[in-house]
Amino acid sequence: MPKKTKHRNALLRSENRTAYLCLIPSIIGLIFLTYLPLLEVFGLSFFSWKGNGFDTFQFVGMKNYVKLLTTDPYFKESVAVTVYYTFIAVVGSMIYSLIIALLLNRKIPARGFWRAIFYLPYLLPAVAVYLGWNWLYNINYGLFNFIINRVFGWPRVGFVNDAKLVAPSLALVAVWLSGNLIVIFLAGLQNVPRTYLEAAEVDGATSWQRFWNITIPCMSPIIFYNLLMALITNLQVITPALALTKGGPGNSSRFVSYVLYQYAFENRKFGLAAAVAVMMFILIGVFTVILFATSRSWMFSEGGDD
Amino acid sequence: MNSLASRKRQEKIVNTVCFVLVVFFSALCLLPIWWIFRSSLMTNNQLFANEVPFFPPDWLFSNYPKALVNFPFWRYLKNTMTIIVPSVIAGTVTAVLGGYAFARMRFRGKRFLFVLVIGSMFLPTMVTLIPLYIMWTNVFHLNGTYWPLILPYFCGGGAFNIYLIRQFILTIPRELDEAATIDGAGHFRILISIIVPAIKAAMIVVALLLFTQMWNDLIQQSLYIHVEKKFTIALGLSQFKGSLKQDYSAIMCATCMSFAPGIIFYLLGQRHFVEGIVLTGMKS
Repeated sequence: MPKKTKHRNALLRSENRTAYLCLIPSIIGLIFLTYLPLLEVFGLSFFSWKGNGFDTFQFVGMKNYVKLLTTDPYFKESVAVTVYYTFIAVVGSMIYSLIIALLLNRKIPARGFWRAIFYLPYLLPAVAVYLGWNWLYNINYGLFNFIINRVFGWPRVGFVNDAKLVAPSLALVAVWLSGNLIVIFLAGLQNVPRTYLEAAEVDGATSWQRFWNITIPCMSPIIFYNLLMALITNLQVITPALALTKGGPGNSSRFVSYVLYQYAFENRKFGLAAAVAVMMFILIGVFTVILFATSRSWMFSEGGDD
Repeated sequence: MNSLASRKRQEKIVNTVCFVLVVFFSALCLLPIWWIFRSSLMTNNQLFANEVPFFPPDWLFSNYPKALVNFPFWRYLKNTMTIIVPSVIAGTVTAVLGGYAFARMRFRGKRFLFVLVIGSMFLPTMVTLIPLYIMWTNVFHLNGTYWPLILPYFCGGGAFNIYLIRQFILTIPRELDEAATIDGAGHFRILISIIVPAIKAAMIVVALLLFTQMWNDLIQQSLYIHVEKKFTIALGLSQFKGSLKQDYSAIMCATCMSFAPGIIFYLLGQRHFVEGIVLTGMKS
């Protein structure tokens, strides 16, 4: 008996060792690329630092935060712009990708081909996408004004050059790019238990009833996941500002991430930029918590299953 | 019986309507790409004519060699691949190792580590951008090299990918491993001879996700690469646009060229791709 437990212990110990061996890269990553930097950014936000060497840190307390919330010319507006952009991009891409996924889930010929078309935009390099769309949005020679003006005869629209329209215009690009959401929705739809749907059909439920009472509840964890990821991704938006608009016209596409980038890497005010990062962390955290808190009321769980 | 037949007919009509809608939406989805492509085949005079044509008047494929003179696409592609290939391989391998440990092994601190992994999925990457920049620049003095872009992928390949692999391995029946254990196989033998062949689809998903992630990552590339000789496609394209201003014909050529590699990569892996995501379940 004791011999046996000894053997078991040795086995467990060796498993312990192997597991840590497998996890070394991940643990290094978690420590040095994720959680330590998170602490550092909190720390850095209480200092003033120009990036010149580690002996030049200057403790300034809450000054960076006070500046952001009072006299800073960009920060507050950037939060508003980012939330506005995120709202349109998230709502738009959730609706678009759910509709496309539902359509692709029907019995239609050459499904793989159509799926590839909707996924395609997601595979194009972001810079190329924004360059291309900038041209599509061109007031005189772009695709959209071709449709608006030539096909329908309506007045031309400025899109990314119009302060009022730049955020929705960029959000439309985000909707176009949401092929990854479609694929995840499709995967979810294929996991909706066929037996439920068939049982409901036998009981005489219409397709609309089946959709609302079976498909949507079964899909709710996936809807939640997609919503959360879309929210986190879009709140961090920076590429369109970096590649295309440079925050303009005016400040109407100066997203929080872009303010962070400019403070850190153009003005070399690393402390102030770190404070922007912390505020962004809090902003995203608040949205995440709200989403988690409300999810209990609308998320359907199968109970026991995973 | 009658109602069943009418229901069948109804189903058929719905499917037809859906198919028409799919064709319509995919046409809308492709329209931007068509406009960019058609612009790459026109002269600037044609692009900036009063009456904008929908189809290129003459298909000027000769625009491409002309654009290549100022836009060294092949060099940018080579540079991009120098970063992406090792990162995708390392990211996939380390994600498989991590996912395997979480799915199959018992060890101290497993729960805690798993919570850390899941937590980092929700951590915005922009938040840690500055400390990482300081680490690579002021501590390791690697700014100006590709290492800050590659090395992170040797460290776990991203939390989501570890999670994805773990979910996938959990669907493989444990009896298979146990049988191999009785035959005297160790953990690594089991991983290589049983697990890896069974999770090929998930590995392709992870590789594709890593690929698109790096492909789109303008900000990190712009922080660490400053010399034109070392530019990636994203950086090259940014600069090309700045230097040409109004030569849209050439810019659209460059844009179209940079569309190509992602499409090719997807076509190679696409059979496994959706299957991979479906099989992982993505339930919780």
